[in-house]
Amino acid sequence: MSRAGNTRIGACFLTVSAIALWPGVTAAQGFTCPKTGGNMVFAQEAKVNSLDQMTSATISTRNVAMNMFESLMTRDENMNPIPELAQEVIESPDGLTYTFKLRDGVKFHNGKPMTTEDVVASFDRYKKVGIDRGILDIVEKWEATDAQTFVIRLKAPQPTFLENLSSFSVPVVIIPKENADAAAMQLKSVGTGPWEFVEFVADSHVKLKRFDGYKPDTRYKDIDGFGGYKVACLDTVTFRIVTEAGARVAGLETGEFLGAEDVPAKSQPTLKNNANIVLKPLQNFWVQIAIPNLSAPPTDNLKVRQAIQAALDMEEIMEAATDGAFRLNIGMQYPGQAFYTEAGKETYNQKNADKAKKLLAEGGYKGEKVTLLTNKDYSNMYTAALVMSEQLKAVGINAELLVLDWPASVQKQQNKADVGWNFFFTGYGTNTSLGGVAAMRFHAPPFNTYRPKGDIPDAEFVTFFDQITNGKTLDERKAAFSRAQQRMLDQVLAVPFGTLTKVQAVRTTVENFRPFRIPRMSNVWLKN
Amino acid sequence: MGRYILSRLLQSIPVLILVSVISFGLMKLVPGDPAILIGGPTATPAELDNIRQNLGLDQPFHVQMWRYYAGLVRGDLGTSLLLGKPVLEATLERVPVSLSIAVYSMVLTLLIGLTCGIIAALNRGTWIDQASMVFALIGVSLPNFWLGLMLIVLLSVHLGWLPTGGYVPWQTDVVGWFKTTTMPAVSLALLQVGLLARITRSTMLEVLRQDYIRTARAKGLPEFIVIAKHAFRNVMIPVVTVIGVIFSVLISGSVVVESVFSVPGIGSLLGSAVLRRDYPMIQGGLLLVAASLLMLNLIVDVLYAYFDPRVRYDNRR
Repeated sequence: MSRAGNTRIGACFLTVSAIALWPGVTAAQGFTCPKTGGNMVFAQEAKVNSLDQMTSATISTRNVAMNMFESLMTRDENMNPIPELAQEVIESPDGLTYTFKLRDGVKFHNGKPMTTEDVVASFDRYKKVGIDRGILDIVEKWEATDAQTFVIRLKAPQPTFLENLSSFSVPVVIIPKENADAAAMQLKSVGTGPWEFVEFVADSHVKLKRFDGYKPDTRYKDIDGFGGYKVACLDTVTFRIVTEAGARVAGLETGEFLGAEDVPAKSQPTLKNNANIVLKPLQNFWVQIAIPNLSAPPTDNLKVRQAIQAALDMEEIMEAATDGAFRLNIGMQYPGQAFYTEAGKETYNQKNADKAKKLLAEGGYKGEKVTLLTNKDYSNMYTAALVMSEQLKAVGINAELLVLDWPASVQKQQNKADVGWNFFFTGYGTNTSLGGVAAMRFHAPPFNTYRPKGDIPDAEFVTFFDQITNGKTLDERKAAFSRAQQRMLDQVLAVPFGTLTKVQAVRTTVENFRPFRIPRMSNVWLKN
Repeated sequence: MGRYILSRLLQSIPVLILVSVISFGLMKLVPGDPAILIGGPTATPAELDNIRQNLGLDQPFHVQMWRYYAGLVRGDLGTSLLLGKPVLEATLERVPVSLSIAVYSMVLTLLIGLTCGIIAALNRGTWIDQASMVFALIGVSLPNFWLGLMLIVLLSVHLGWLPTGGYVPWQTDVVGWFKTTTMPAVSLALLQVGLLARITRSTMLEVLRQDYIRTARAKGLPEFIVIAKHAFRNVMIPVVTVIGVIFSVLISGSVVVESVFSVPGIGSLLGSAVLRRDYPMIQGGLLLVAASLLMLNLIVDVLYAYFDPRVRYDNRR
């Protein structure tokens, strides 16, 4: 995790005033594999639809694809933007031009050296089919000025442009020019990462092998988030799709799998006592959350929403929803993140029945139905809704559950004309981890998850959000985030319950596996 | 017979058209948007529009329907929204998986089900009869989800005999295939064994009461010959119908069993398609499954003629 070059480059980036945000730095002694070889079989919970990293936003795709693909910029262990395929990033004084110098000697899995022609083609494809192509709306043009220099020119300065560009949600991965005409979901899995594609059998497995032509990033000493000094110590990695939790645990116990994700809480005590298995909890995987419908009575009434907020015992909800794998957490960022704030603390985990009843009376609540829209596809969302409904009933609220399957519940929630629900249950993971702008974007136009009355968003919140996006300095943006979170909680625009801990596990023969937002297979080796 | 088969094949065309109309219409009525599943619940409206545009879901209903049927006429079942590959290819690559497990499971079902049913009938009213029927009842009653997990715990975790799941093609490694398909095949078979054993028993009891059996015994034929030659063939007439139904269930796969054992079969493919609202996959998959069931029914009807010489499908007398 240590970085060989300027250790303050993350902070430098966020202050924006610097010209060379990531100047080229000297090489350092990087990580070397104590042992090479072996096949790591990793049991993954979710099915992989496609390995086209530009057109899939699912975690299951990212788990695999981010071991194969790389981007100009990515995120480090603490989610700060860092360069990956870019050797150097220079911002013009007017904030309109970003010049990327590519790292030397980077090759694609097909053996072809990466040049700026490939970068241009990758951006062209992303603009055409990339799911998050809205991040390029601010861009006037991009071009290659020579084989190693790529330039992006913005229509207007956007201080958070590199923050968006380095997002790992649906990253602008760099692919060979000859593959860039591929239609959505049809991209060949040829990237520049330490792992190259072998085979993908849908609903069964994806197999990768070490890319012998990989050139590690010598600016770093070790893997760092999605970037850093990456080395493939294993010969092959097989991601096995095992949707049944019991089967994942059984496979881990028998040694058939060397690693597994989403270990159920009920199996953890047994696995803890197994000398051959090590649990790897990943805290803050997502914020468990309920989103109110501000267009539907009675949650269109602020006093009623505040009463609901006052009634909730977050510890009880999270304990039941996660079987104990949680942390209480205020708001939309995790401790340790640059934007973390305790603003709105007084609104969180109040479990104050008297206050709730008083607010209900003040709000003129007359026993109207409060419908909690949830699903059983994600058991934690269902259980959170179930416990919340009981807590609401305890203060005299006429709460009821509406359980649909996940796709139907999401569609119902996104249907602007539908007022048949009052709270929608979900989890905010990737975007929360990405930082300030991404975490708050759901409540600012254009919004999907937020249902303001008359489709008019909270003006104060929108002002703060604009400052998070366009504030000139990090401090300015952090202050705006704090005010936005305070406003969000005061107005009960969202009800965050706490953060979920996702538990991964590996056999003790697996060394150096560090839990992260994807199962990183680089710099991992097998003892035997 | 040839004319009969041709006529049945022609009759299946309107059935398949009906299946396609119903599946197309139903999928448009069911709430849930594949774009949301690809983009995630927090995708912005612009992102969702981009995905719908990528997938052609932004087109009006009639345009989508026209494209679907124009494709069908050309033999193109469309492209899976989530797998990004043609539906026909995605389904056909699962056929060997589901078919091999279905055949393995069918063999187990026939061996155990017929044996249990015949033994129970021949020992009517004894403890053997009761034990066989209790075994059959347990097979029907156990949820195959639970049974699958118990098999994993016993045969994989405790005994270490079999892998917990996955699938190895028999062309690659026969032993690997046998190891990976045994638990799914047993889980599927035990559910069907009960049904087959009970029907075999009741049919056998009925047949054993017939005059020709009494005659055979009166002629002094050994009991084995009476059962194997005279009774068994007649038992098979109704049993073949049940076997056809059982095989159709096995071949269309079991979503639950395939999920427990991580088997990439047709059941798991269609199950995921439904959960993820992969419309072309569901429509095409259902059409192919319907076509295979129609073929299976035809085979069963043809088999009647083999087991019962009185059954003839030609109109000529």
